Amino acid sequence: MKNNVITRLKNACAISETKFLNYSNHRRQVPLVRKNGELMEASLDEAVRRSAEILAKASYPILYGWSCTSCEAIRVGLALAEEAGGVIDNTSTVCHGPSVLSIQDVGMASCTLGQLRHRADLIIYWGSNPWSAHPRHIDRYTAFSDGRFQKSAWRRYLPRLNAALTKKRLDRASSLVLRKEVSAPTETAKSPSYALARKERKMIVVDVRRTHSADVADYFLQVEPNRDYELLQALRMIIRDEELDVDEVAGVPVEVLEDIADVMIGCELGVLFFGVGLTMSEGKLRNIDAALSLVRDLNKRTKFLIMPMRGHFNVTGANTVFTWQTGFPYAVDFSHGYPRYNPGETSVVDILCRGESDASLIIASDPVSHFPRQAVQNLVSSPLIVIDPQITPTSLLADVVIPSAFVGIEAEGTAYRMDHVPLPLKKVVEPPEGYLTDTEILQKIFQQVRRLKGEV
Amino acid sequence: MITLRPRHRFTVPVDAECITPDSFADKSIEEIAALQAWEGNRKRVLGDLFKIEGETSAMQEKVSIHIFEDVSKVRRIGAGMSMGEIVVEGSAGMHLGEGMKGGSITVSGDAGSWAGCMMSGGTLEIKGDVGDYVGAPYRGSTKGMGGGLIVVHGNAGNEVGCFMRKGLIKVHGNIGQFAGVHMKKGTIFVEGKCEGRAGAEMVGGKIIICAYIPSVLPTFTIDTIKPKVKVNGEVILGPFYQFIGDLADNGNGKLFVSQTKNPHLKFYEKYL
Amino acid sequence: MRLIVKNGYVYDPLNSVDGERMDICVKDGKIVEKVDERKAKIIDAFGMVVMPGGVDIHCHIAGSEVNAGRLLRPEDHFKDIEAKTAITRSGVGHSIPSTFTTGYRYARMGYTTVMNPSMPPLEARHTHEELNDTPMVDKATYPLLGDWWFVLEYLRDGQFKECAAHVAWMIDATKGYAIKIVNPGGLEAWGFGRNVRDINDPVPHFNLTPKEIVRGLCRVNHLLHMPHTIHVHTNNLGKPGNYATALETMKCVENLNNGDKPVIHITHCQFSAFKGSDWRTMESGAEEIARYVNRRKHVTLDMGQVVFTDTTTMTADGPFQYILYQLTGNKWVNHDVETETSSGIVPFRYRRKSYVHATQWSIGLELALLIEDPWKIYLTTDHPNGAPFTTYPRIISWLMSRRARKRTMEKISRRAQRRSLLPSINREYSLYEVAVATRAGTAKALGLKQKGHLGVGADADIAIYNLNPDQVDLAKKPKAVRRAFQTSAYTIKGGEIVAINGDIVKSVEGNTIWVDVKLSSNPRTVVSDLKRRFREYWTVEYENYPVPEDYLTASSPVSVKAEV
Repeated sequence: MKNNVITRLKNACAISETKFLNYSNHRRQVPLVRKNGELMEASLDEAVRRSAEILAKASYPILYGWSCTSCEAIRVGLALAEEAGGVIDNTSTVCHGPSVLSIQDVGMASCTLGQLRHRADLIIYWGSNPWSAHPRHIDRYTAFSDGRFQKSAWRRYLPRLNAALTKKRLDRASSLVLRKEVSAPTETAKSPSYALARKERKMIVVDVRRTHSADVADYFLQVEPNRDYELLQALRMIIRDEELDVDEVAGVPVEVLEDIADVMIGCELGVLFFGVGLTMSEGKLRNIDAALSLVRDLNKRTKFLIMPMRGHFNVTGANTVFTWQTGFPYAVDFSHGYPRYNPGETSVVDILCRGESDASLIIASDPVSHFPRQAVQNLVSSPLIVIDPQITPTSLLADVVIPSAFVGIEAEGTAYRMDHVPLPLKKVVEPPEGYLTDTEILQKIFQQVRRLKGEV
Repeated sequence: MITLRPRHRFTVPVDAECITPDSFADKSIEEIAALQAWEGNRKRVLGDLFKIEGETSAMQEKVSIHIFEDVSKVRRIGAGMSMGEIVVEGSAGMHLGEGMKGGSITVSGDAGSWAGCMMSGGTLEIKGDVGDYVGAPYRGSTKGMGGGLIVVHGNAGNEVGCFMRKGLIKVHGNIGQFAGVHMKKGTIFVEGKCEGRAGAEMVGGKIIICAYIPSVLPTFTIDTIKPKVKVNGEVILGPFYQFIGDLADNGNGKLFVSQTKNPHLKFYEKYL
Repeated sequence: MRLIVKNGYVYDPLNSVDGERMDICVKDGKIVEKVDERKAKIIDAFGMVVMPGGVDIHCHIAGSEVNAGRLLRPEDHFKDIEAKTAITRSGVGHSIPSTFTTGYRYARMGYTTVMNPSMPPLEARHTHEELNDTPMVDKATYPLLGDWWFVLEYLRDGQFKECAAHVAWMIDATKGYAIKIVNPGGLEAWGFGRNVRDINDPVPHFNLTPKEIVRGLCRVNHLLHMPHTIHVHTNNLGKPGNYATALETMKCVENLNNGDKPVIHITHCQFSAFKGSDWRTMESGAEEIARYVNRRKHVTLDMGQVVFTDTTTMTADGPFQYILYQLTGNKWVNHDVETETSSGIVPFRYRRKSYVHATQWSIGLELALLIEDPWKIYLTTDHPNGAPFTTYPRIISWLMSRRARKRTMEKISRRAQRRSLLPSINREYSLYEVAVATRAGTAKALGLKQKGHLGVGADADIAIYNLNPDQVDLAKKPKAVRRAFQTSAYTIKGGEIVAINGDIVKSVEGNTIWVDVKLSSNPRTVVSDLKRRFREYWTVEYENYPVPEDYLTASSPVSVKAEV
């Protein structure tokens, strides 16, 4: 650090390095309020007052985001949503919401990540690409980590890596010599090798295309797009020792599935990680339903666990705080004075698509960039408040913009890791002059809304 | 007969679970107009939202409610009703007839998702299309439709009859995926096409698909070919492939799929 | 703030007051001898029962396991709602209420202190965040230590003092109140999907037995001078024939006695009191357990009473919860915590006509009625495992009235009726004994000196119930008893009136109580040992593990001096 600015990072993964080194870009110094169609600089008091007016007047406001801020801020956000009689929702609604819905139907056999580091010998990533999206996952918690009962498998990875690089070089050389594109014939699904029956750590990746994670894995299974549900259900039947009528499922021959099932049953402790490859492909929550049921059924034969690969750094925290205060993990509707929950009806994307809300508060999120177009149109056509550390496309279209401090860099707070372990986030640098934390901003708005609604 | 007409265009959700023959019975028009409803987060009385006219019923007469114009933003019409009739000349919102125990609801237009959810009796008829989760239970509950009849003349969405326990759902149009998911008992009859994955994780019950379905789940096994199937006493001519499943859940449900409309499923015949 | 509760029938067993008509005076949140009447608010408690505020020794209300249950069961919530008011926050929940609702519902029943019994140490922060959001009551929580690798290793090597020093560190790091042990050894075995068969079955990979864990932690508890005894959920919970395990567990610490004071608390004993060899032959082992407990002074128990309703089971006993899933086919959540413990959640409905459930219902009451000394057994349902805590008033009416028991018995499984001991038991609890079972006894067992009584210096936590023992024959009017305890006439917390006839009139925070163990040796040795090995054991950094005191909204430490 130099002069309150971060200059260098040690031991950081690619994603965190971007965050820590670039946090000071795209910052807006002062709050903004739209007057006569133009965003003008305003005092914090004025911005807070306008925000409170917007929320107090609204008949069906939505408060969205929450996954990139601290639990302390989320607690105030819930009080604010309750006071304003609106709908509060977090990014699960576009990410692992389907997983939650399925957990509510089927349950989930899970654990903390350390349990896997110590004990897991079979690691499956399904519809998830940790090498790119969770860069430290494999070497901190799974295949390349060391635990009490299992050792890292990185040594076996090196020859595989060499083989892959050599193949690439040979392909390129052949293309140059023959002056046309040469590539190996497309892979048909092969059975996992006998080596996978060993008690050492092994990694399997299941995906619709060969990702970086697949290159690192001991075995890669390619599944036809949008057919994961059939594959998971077929595996459920096979592990019960029942025979399928068909010869192949989702492009995979049944004999291969039977061998994979053997590997799964034969392990000491297996874990299935799944990502948006399952939650957002055709079948959505029922894909997760099948995965959760498969893992539950496997527990009859061996110890097996499952865990969703979460996206935003505190989406788990958002789910957790929402649940203890309201009983529900996302899409919570306070309009009748008590919490109601029905994703599809009370989830923010759906509400926006149907044009039912009449005001919005967006915090630590950028829906203009991520939501479907119709939702965005409705979002910007009614009063919009944005609280964010940086300038985003959403803030450019807002009616009130309040800059806030970055949680984990400029402000401390609590966040929950993807396996529900709570961690304290530290403050590393001072926020720019005049910047408050999300918690403080929300508190101010909350007090004013309470006053406007006559409850003070 | 009591008529209701919206006084203004609804934009935020309106929750009007008081619109049932049960709560209108033996009340004067003024009393009905004073019943509580919600418009977004504002408490309203029914009279604020609807123009209410007509004759109220005497003790023994059947209570009949007619709703005119677009009420697609009005939720929970007919919730929990046990008698009488509601006719919607237009489209109705979500949760139509939620928890219905008796009586009848007819909609000339479309209906929103969760129509007939948690229903245990009565008749729900929708002339147009309906959304997802017809006859479904509440999130997390395994108690789906417990009786009654739902008829959809148009198309239905996904997860028709999710966790169904009893009763009959008839769809004359097409349906989405996962009809009868986790079904225990009851019958789902579809005249039109199905997008796939019918009967997923079912443990009992009957599903009949009379038109095209792209595939049958691999965890179903073919049992026989049936020339015809009975649905609620009515005979439906096949021929149908009869599948048993979902074997991943040790299920004993029956999935009937039209043989003529699904030539790509012919390969199953070699297992007979 | 000055207050006088005038002229009520006071039941204060810790001060031997049994229904005497007297005034209770409050000043600045404490009970005092006298207060100037002209300056005080007067509550006329004439014709009403006055007791110390309820102290619940075991109820799962906060933490990762409870919250996972809340998430799992939206269908448990949507029918039971609490709307927001100017003073209270909204909430939901029948068997697993949301945090604000939990606090309000306890306050309405006149309870003022609750103990959350299961906290995975790695996730202690989560438990405290939820406790911070549980208003109206003082609270504390017990860290799960029976399967912690450090405990297993030190006890295996016979190093009790080092073990005690590490446990002291853990109590401080998690801001805990007591040492909780669940299925000792079984949770570690569950890490690979196994369990332990009895207290002599060695824990895989660690080479010590559950008996050694219980005895070892009992000795550690003495060395640390903890205010409460070890709090034990026995091995083989819920398994027919397990009453033998419960007896063995109690016997194995007999010779570690501490004069006449208890050295072990067996929690929700009903679930550990089954005779028989399978579900067909299962029957009540309450008589054997009561006989043992009646002759001994070193054990305390709580009931774990079952009520016929839909509820949710949730415990740290991972293998047991898996068995429940297999029995019921209901949705099942499992959460193993690295290095430390596990947990499981399964919704469950207790049915009157089920022989097993009806027998369980009988066992809880048999235990409470056959154990002669009310200071040895307390009223709980292991909320929500046996039933939601809002059923306590119903259980009180069963304890106080043969007639109430008989009425319920008539509707249960006939086979269970024939085998139940209840028809032959005439005992009916008096109000004094109810006060012991729900406040005085629990406060004493917990070592909470300012709670559970109305003597001078106690915290001014008072419950006033609309019940007149002079006019009503309580044994003959169980409904009146139930109604009175369901909704207190007044609940006073820390000298403030917080609830009147079921309405929350003031929202208060409540303190989080924890034990501040002062080691007589240098704490730095423990710290450096842990720091050195931290990364081998856990996947978080040493600095991020402990919960700092300012994390608690209102911290209320109890200081003890340890012998190590």
